[in-house]
Amino acid sequence: MNKIIIYITLAVFLLGLGASWVIQKANSSYDIPLVKSVPVFEFKTQDKILFSNKDLMGKITVLDFMFTLCAGPCPVMTNNMTLLYRDYENVDNAQFVSITVDPSNDNEDVLKQYSIANGVNDNRWQFLTSDIDSIKKLKRDGFMLYADELPQGHAIKFILIDQNGKIRKYYDGTDKASMAVLRNDLNKLIKEINK
Amino acid sequence: MNTFRIFSFISTGLTFILIFVGGLVRVAGAGMGCPDWPKCFDRWIPPISLEQLPDHIDPAKFNIVLAWIEYSNRLFGAVVGLAITITSYLVLKYYNDIPRIKWPVLIAFFLTLVEGWLGSVLVDTVLNPFTITLHLILALIIVMLLIFAAQESYYYENPNSESKSQYPQGLKWMFGLLAGTLLIEVILGTEIRGGLEMIRKDNPIVDSQFLINMLGPFKYIHSILGFFMTGLSGYLWYCLVRKSKHPSKMMTQTSSLILGLIFIQIFMGELLVFLDVIQLIQLFHMWVASWIIGLVMVQYSAWNQSQLCHE
Repeated sequence: MNKIIIYITLAVFLLGLGASWVIQKANSSYDIPLVKSVPVFEFKTQDKILFSNKDLMGKITVLDFMFTLCAGPCPVMTNNMTLLYRDYENVDNAQFVSITVDPSNDNEDVLKQYSIANGVNDNRWQFLTSDIDSIKKLKRDGFMLYADELPQGHAIKFILIDQNGKIRKYYDGTDKASMAVLRNDLNKLIKEINK
Repeated sequence: MNTFRIFSFISTGLTFILIFVGGLVRVAGAGMGCPDWPKCFDRWIPPISLEQLPDHIDPAKFNIVLAWIEYSNRLFGAVVGLAITITSYLVLKYYNDIPRIKWPVLIAFFLTLVEGWLGSVLVDTVLNPFTITLHLILALIIVMLLIFAAQESYYYENPNSESKSQYPQGLKWMFGLLAGTLLIEVILGTEIRGGLEMIRKDNPIVDSQFLINMLGPFKYIHSILGFFMTGLSGYLWYCLVRKSKHPSKMMTQTSSLILGLIFIQIFMGELLVFLDVIQLIQLFHMWVASWIIGLVMVQYSAWNQSQLCHE
């Protein structure tokens, strides 16, 4: 009997040791990479205010490219962005940015209508527009995303940008599980700036 | 020891370890480590680098550590499934005409299949909290059934092992109450964990200690039921060890162990509330609860055997 107790205690101890190693490994596996800086840009918001790369500083930003007439993956992306916008209502240093890839249709007024239709009532979610060449350039060179056949051929990625205006990671904006990963990473970055 | 009992012991032991590994997946946040099921990133052996990821899967979901934690739970689950399948075959071979041994094993076998299916539901629903709780509760029921079957087969071969002991009668509902309360405690406990995650989602910047206070009533019911169980198992210990004549060694040891483990549980629970939500303690808090549930089954089976001897 005593022997069994010793074996069990030893086994439990070893399991605990193994578990704490695994937990520690898991906790340190959440590091978010650093991709590159967002280049200089200056676009206009749905409220006709200038929004530049400097407005990314000091905040954690989730950014995507979309257009209001898009019937493909955009509704899913917008829906996911709306959920984030709602859930992070109490978090001042999180912001959301959607850049149109169809500026010929999506002027400031159209974007304003679109933002109201999606329940946006403060400046935590900005919709940006500019001329098509600047948008293309930012998308292709700044974010390294495919930008040849706009508006239809726009990327479905959500991009996480940190408080220093650095791109950290890309997520599939239409995928439920990717959104869960994005939330974890977002929380981690927010906690870091609050430290 | 016959082959059936050897395999029922192996199955029970492996299931306990599987509960531990499952809890590890939970506390490490590795539940979505593999975004598909049963394969992991469309591979039978999880990828070890980004290059191995198929094109249609978003690379943002890939975390090699989490993928392997989750996959080891699945692989170990398959081993347990195999052990329980062999146990089921043996029960049909040796105890086909003893319903009280046969059925618990067969139900455990069926529940094991349900567990595998629940695993796929968890991935599909991106870890629905209700399904997570159900996944654990079913594992605990499987353990209870396996322990009961193993012990009943022992009594079947050694019918006189509890013949000398005389325990107070009419305790059946007490065991039921204790086991029921234990399961409710586990559900409440997982709800506390789930609740913490829900609040954390809306308040990503608040620390765990503050969140626990926000849970309020849940936490108190969990603590109150904990003290209620201490009283209940204390009373059972008193009935089965002190008030009975010639209690078997199995009975005195099991009863004392249950009581001791409940005190350890209270201690760990208070540590989580007052110190911090430490993942390793969370894991052991859940795991020790599963031991207690198994031991209550042993206690009940021994008591029941003694009652049968004196009928």
